[in-house]
Amino acid sequence: MRLSTRVAALCVALLASHQASAVELPQRWVSAGGALSEWVSALGGEAKLVGVDTTSQHPESLKALPSIGYQRALSAEGILSLRPQILIGTEEMGPPPVLAQIRSAGVQVELFSAQPELSALQTNLQHLGQLLGSETQATALYSTYQQQIEQQKAWVTQAQSGQKAPGVLLILGHAGGKPLIAGKDTAADWLIQQAGGRNLASQNGYKPFSTESLAGLSPDVLVFADRALTGETAKAALFKENPILANTPAAKAGRVYELDPTLLVGGLGPRLPESLKKLSSGFYPGAPAQ
Amino acid sequence: MRPLLKPRVLFIGLSLLCLLAIWLSLALGPVSLPLLDTLRAALRMLGVPIAAQGLEQAELILGQIRLPRTLLGLAVGGVLALSGVAMQGLFRNPLADPGLVGVSSGAALGAAIAIVGGSAFGGLPESFGPYLLSLFAFIGGLGVTALVYRLGRRNGQTNVATMLLAGIALTALAGSAVGLFTYLADDATLRTLTFWNLGSLNGASYARLWPLLLVSVAVALWLPRRAKALNALLLGESEASHLGIDVERLKRELVFCTALGVGAAVAAAGMIGFVGLVVPHLVRLLAGPDHKVLLPASILAGASLLLFADLVARLALAPAELPIGIVTAFIGAPFFLFLLLRGRA
Repeated sequence: MRLSTRVAALCVALLASHQASAVELPQRWVSAGGALSEWVSALGGEAKLVGVDTTSQHPESLKALPSIGYQRALSAEGILSLRPQILIGTEEMGPPPVLAQIRSAGVQVELFSAQPELSALQTNLQHLGQLLGSETQATALYSTYQQQIEQQKAWVTQAQSGQKAPGVLLILGHAGGKPLIAGKDTAADWLIQQAGGRNLASQNGYKPFSTESLAGLSPDVLVFADRALTGETAKAALFKENPILANTPAAKAGRVYELDPTLLVGGLGPRLPESLKKLSSGFYPGAPAQ
Repeated sequence: MRPLLKPRVLFIGLSLLCLLAIWLSLALGPVSLPLLDTLRAALRMLGVPIAAQGLEQAELILGQIRLPRTLLGLAVGGVLALSGVAMQGLFRNPLADPGLVGVSSGAALGAAIAIVGGSAFGGLPESFGPYLLSLFAFIGGLGVTALVYRLGRRNGQTNVATMLLAGIALTALAGSAVGLFTYLADDATLRTLTFWNLGSLNGASYARLWPLLLVSVAVALWLPRRAKALNALLLGESEASHLGIDVERLKRELVFCTALGVGAAVAAAGMIGFVGLVVPHLVRLLAGPDHKVLLPASILAGASLLLFADLVARLALAPAELPIGIVTAFIGAPFFLFLLLRGRA
């Protein structure tokens, strides 16, 4: 799957360079949105990016670009100093007066949706494709993506026929400490459901948890997203800081999985299907491999 | 403590410093403009007929971004420092700052209501959002201050000690309400709230600037006229009234000016700490406690400090930007400590 994405990206890059001379397309891009930057790269536009915001962490190479700060606290002159022709971002981008200043300087400002919905992604990709001059590639990328999501859904339905949906808690932490539980109305909640889990947390948004209520929930699966640590160190830190978690059925059965926290911001990104697959395999260990 | 500087020397020094700050604030930024272009664009804006050719960018950056930002910095810095003097004079306490009468915490509460409440009601129209935030912050600041003042009054007298305690209580109350809103906020609004609490001169526009400019000019003209009364108040309330000062009226004016000025400043630029508390001290260390010097000098010093802090804020991490609240304390506090230790030796 990954290879095909790469091949697609390569085709896109070749075609984009071919078409660019034909139409007047913006050549200097600033992106203020993690998932958007990823899509620009996937569509072969990475070379056009001259600046990204702090939520743009993937692909790794973007970190070398000048940082324009957090998407909600942009600076007009800072962005203008990069001499961009276009600024892209989600509806979270701001503050509005700064966007107005950037527009009045003749920079095209394009807004995209950060909703975790396929329809929003389709619109976004089409729009990006037009702006990058790689519409066919955008359509191809979208249909692959849609297929992956649908296959995923079918797999989950199948798995659920043989096994009850597991109760899941998603824990967002910082080096294990001060963990927050992902409740309703979050990207994390959407992810859990998409992977076939049942989110046990019923509150809205990300909230700190009381150990007592947690003990009563007895999750079958724990998913952790740590902003500071990764892998085994993050897991160890989480259990060290919150010993109560070690007594949950999930921890006893060893069903504790990691999630990249950057997937939780800015809408549907290209790395999502891969992560969903991993998560759902963890949710349904008995089901046939995807 | 013997003043380090004569008033005249202080005023000349501070005026030069302030002019330098204004010039740097107009001339420097993430976009590097040639000095000549900046000068020509500035002259053009002043009405000198110069060909516009090649100046479009300079004019835009100077006129639409740097000038409103500089004016905002001047007004906010000046009015915060001036309110600090007023509060320290009113409470006859060097630890007093404009936050003490509840204006900052009230403004923070107003802002939290606007930010969190706004998003709870399905988001506000984009063009209206920022104005609502400013309006709520201003109303919140004024409202809580009015309440503090009201609580401090008994039998037609304003008891400063009661007012101070009422201010502390209401600040705590407003703080817990802000905490509740923080808890209720979702991720995105939480970030907005955090950044608002750190303050910024970013995104200054003329539309939002005028109300603040009017208020700060009014306060800056009014308060220095009360310098003599403030000097008398230093001796004590009864002494001041024996000297023929209408103390009740003075208190009312001080509280009102502070609420108005700080309310407008916070509404326009968010919470910017440190300036109101320390700039008056700084000036006092340099030139002594005479309010005739202290009031106008604090305006100049506060404005300069804020402009320099803003320069650091916009240049340090360019093209990104630091919240200015971080910078004011970072450059102001070591300087203040230096003066303090020097004064002791």
